Amino acid sequence: MNLVYALMASVIVACSIYMILSRNLVRLLLGMSMLATGVNIVIFMSGNTQSPRPPLIEEGAIVLTDAADPLPQALILTAIVIGFALTLVLATLTLRAWRAERTLNTGQMRGAEDLGDPTRPGKREG
Amino acid sequence: MLIWLILIAFLGSCLAGPVSRAADRWAGWLLALLPAGLFVTLIKISPVMERGWVLGDGLNWAPYLDLYLTFRLDGFSFLMTLLITGVGTLVVIYSGAYLSEKSLKDRGRFFTLILLFMTAMLGAVLADNLIVMLVFWEATSILSFLLIGFDGRSARARRSALMSLYTTAAGGLALLAAILLIGQALGTYSLGEVRARADELAASPLIVPILAGLMIGAFTKSAQFPFHFWLPNAMQAPTPASAFLHSATMVKLGIYLLARFEPVIAAVPYGRWVLVTVGGATMLIAAFQALRAEGFKTALAYSTIASLGILVTLIGLTGPAASVAMVGFLFAHALYKAALFFCAGSVLHATGLQNLRALGGLIRLLPLTGVATVLASLSMAGLPPFFGFISKEFLFQAQLESTSALVSLAVIVLVNAAMVGVAAVITLRPFFMGRGKISEVKHGETPGLVMPPLVLALAGLFLSLDPAWVSSNVLRPAAVAVYGEAIEVKVHLWHGITPMLMLSFVVVIIGALIAWYWKSIHLRLRKSRVFEVVDFDRYFETTLETLHLLSARLTGLVQHGDLRTYLWVVFAAVTALLLFAWNAAGLMPRLPQVDALRPAPAVVALVGMAGALAAARARGLLTAMIATGLVGFAVAVGFMFNGAPDLALTQFTVEALIVVLLTALLLAVPLAAPPTRTNTERRFDALIATVIGVVLFVALVDMTSASHGGAISTFMGNQSYLAAKGHNVVNVILVDFRGFDTLGETVVIAMSAVLAWSLLGPRLREQVWSHERRSPFILQLTAPVFFWLLLITSLWILLRGHDQPGGGFIGGLVAALAFAMIALAHGLERARRTLRIHPVVVVGIGMFLALLSGFPGMQDGSAYLTHLWYEGDALKLSTTMVFDLGVYIVVLGGVLAFLFGLQRGAEK
Repeated sequence: MNLVYALMASVIVACSIYMILSRNLVRLLLGMSMLATGVNIVIFMSGNTQSPRPPLIEEGAIVLTDAADPLPQALILTAIVIGFALTLVLATLTLRAWRAERTLNTGQMRGAEDLGDPTRPGKREG
Repeated sequence: MLIWLILIAFLGSCLAGPVSRAADRWAGWLLALLPAGLFVTLIKISPVMERGWVLGDGLNWAPYLDLYLTFRLDGFSFLMTLLITGVGTLVVIYSGAYLSEKSLKDRGRFFTLILLFMTAMLGAVLADNLIVMLVFWEATSILSFLLIGFDGRSARARRSALMSLYTTAAGGLALLAAILLIGQALGTYSLGEVRARADELAASPLIVPILAGLMIGAFTKSAQFPFHFWLPNAMQAPTPASAFLHSATMVKLGIYLLARFEPVIAAVPYGRWVLVTVGGATMLIAAFQALRAEGFKTALAYSTIASLGILVTLIGLTGPAASVAMVGFLFAHALYKAALFFCAGSVLHATGLQNLRALGGLIRLLPLTGVATVLASLSMAGLPPFFGFISKEFLFQAQLESTSALVSLAVIVLVNAAMVGVAAVITLRPFFMGRGKISEVKHGETPGLVMPPLVLALAGLFLSLDPAWVSSNVLRPAAVAVYGEAIEVKVHLWHGITPMLMLSFVVVIIGALIAWYWKSIHLRLRKSRVFEVVDFDRYFETTLETLHLLSARLTGLVQHGDLRTYLWVVFAAVTALLLFAWNAAGLMPRLPQVDALRPAPAVVALVGMAGALAAARARGLLTAMIATGLVGFAVAVGFMFNGAPDLALTQFTVEALIVVLLTALLLAVPLAAPPTRTNTERRFDALIATVIGVVLFVALVDMTSASHGGAISTFMGNQSYLAAKGHNVVNVILVDFRGFDTLGETVVIAMSAVLAWSLLGPRLREQVWSHERRSPFILQLTAPVFFWLLLITSLWILLRGHDQPGGGFIGGLVAALAFAMIALAHGLERARRTLRIHPVVVVGIGMFLALLSGFPGMQDGSAYLTHLWYEGDALKLSTTMVFDLGVYIVVLGGVLAFLFGLQRGAEK
């Protein structure tokens, strides 16, 4: 089963990198979001994946026995939320970029270039 | 004491601005008290110097970095400090008169700079630690830059200032490299120790780069060929600065450095040869240029370069006489050259004319300046009874006693003759010849303009008539410090008929001839095309242009502006590193024990992979978003299957919110997304992605087959209930074991919310969004129900989080979902009204609660975020709840900031 999850993580990461390399900002954003998901699986697999029982200490018991690894879960939980926040920041920037440049293609965004050649201050390109 | 000397000089320079404003016309005389006071203090310790002792002073600056603020005063430093403070005094007096027409502000600036420069010079010649010396050395370069470019409105001044800065700063870098290498080779930065261990350093394998760095540093500073071109340009500086920096003191720093390292240079077979050659080339070129020069100051500048060349040659010569001659000439040159610069400045000030051929007959208009010029020129020409004569005798003696070739002697004689010629020309032409060329002057002589050159010129006369004090207190200690052993220094005007005297005689005769035929020599040299070959100004310009061009090309290459290329460079580098690591770790991965394939999870995983592939291949953005969402849901289900209900819950909520939030974005942008990459680029990207995927797969297979120690997990599993009273280990880790980490992540969310609001939010306030959204009736009807259900659920999730799946993060997300329902059904305005408070304020409240929760536990001295517990019969209360509530509120506020911001931004 681990092999299946390994394959899943690899496919998700590979696909998201392919998307990130696109010049379309929304694709890039979705790729980043998916990359976070893929990496979360990798973190999950770095822990002990033997037991399917949640890491809850049973009523009456005082220590955790025979349960899934709690540590990667704690890491992933914050990672999901942070990844979510990152996706939203990218969405915000994408929206602003679209408003300012009327294009989603990073290759066509000229806002910085229109400020002029950095090696020749004072000269503006038309 | 030495540190105090520098500190007082520094504090005094800082006060120069206000003092000069307050004293107005008398500023020069008043401020001169600072260098004069230092000069007198130094004179008072001359008995110590006479005995050949060395004064030391130091502070442990940063011992763990091997930095010691150590200073050292020996005979040679003493000579330098006397010149710096003595000439400095006169320069400050002269500046007061010279800058009388400048504005108060400009004058204050000039005094500040010139006194700061004096401080830096004192530091440089007193420092024992080489790094400390370098700091002061660089400070002199920067102050020189500021003084040359003092008239910032003149393009020529700016260009000259930059030229000198580039040249000397490049030399400073070379010197820094050399000093660091010395530290590597000897393990010390102390100048005294380096001199003592010169042979050891010369035997080091690093000696070639060390010497190269030292020499480049010294040659750039002291304007030696081929770096001499900046000095004539530096004459753009106001004349007092030229007199001080570019003839008497700063340009001698390179000489100072070389003299300090003479033992090291001498221990290397080619060391002396390099010095003699460079010095010889410099003085020859400079002598011709001095005859070719048209301006008063330019001629003086070239003659200064020639003198510096002579000094470098003298360091390269062997024998004690060379050290004596070097010290004597350095001293004599500072006296007469500074005086001549003062005179040149007065002429320039009075007439506004620079050109030697345009000047004439000034003796009647500027009589005292004329007298000073005559006296100083006689010293420069090396005629008895002036100090220049004594130093020239030493010079020839050193040359004759040294083991170097006759060529060098011939060069010295020729150059000295040229100096005699130049000395005669700059005296006779402006003052005595061409009577009537100038009939009136703009400004007459004032005491401040006349006193400094006269003092210096007369010093050159009286010190040679009674040389006992200066030779035993200044020159002998300096020569001993340079030579390293006790030597005899006999300073007399008359030594009898000696070969040196005969050489002086020859020099004066040739010099007189040069002066007589100056005009034709001058004009012929000006027409000569030879000097175009040695036009280093132009070479400098071309080099600079080439550098600019190269840097522009390089910038164009690495800063091309294509995001995709930046990213693939990153990913390609990651791939290369991964492949390298794989290769290093061994090519075959360990294989895990194959466990049973569970059908349901396997199908879910397949759905996830299909979603990923679909997202990558999708043409439209909507498809891509749905496919991405599919991946998220599949992974959430996967978490569910593998004992991670917390994660599953979080992932589900996040995916739901992403759909709501990104829909707002997709409403604003075009959904059709034509290809942005060429086919080749796609194939290339697919290749990179595939390689990373394959490497990751192999790594994961290898990883899962390794045993998992899990010591930390075990610890947390064991302590979760006992120490932190929680059944849900994941939540306990978040709020307690790793509470500080969680706090940091909460701050990240809070900051992203503030970012979102600053980018999208402010416009929200401008106009109230009037129209309500038209949404399906059924949604409108059920939305309030869902809202309250979700809100209550979120609170329940929050409260039970410590023992059951749930917690602040999940609760906050679910609560945000509740508001998203309202926004979907009734529009943004309704959702905002429901919230009542500004989302960023909500974030602030949450942050406040989370931060606050850490304090109560500190009362018994525990660390921040140590949680407290109250356990009653039916009720458990804890500060973790406050912490988790804070997280909940921050997440809620953060998501809502994005929700409102994005929806509003998309509507516009």
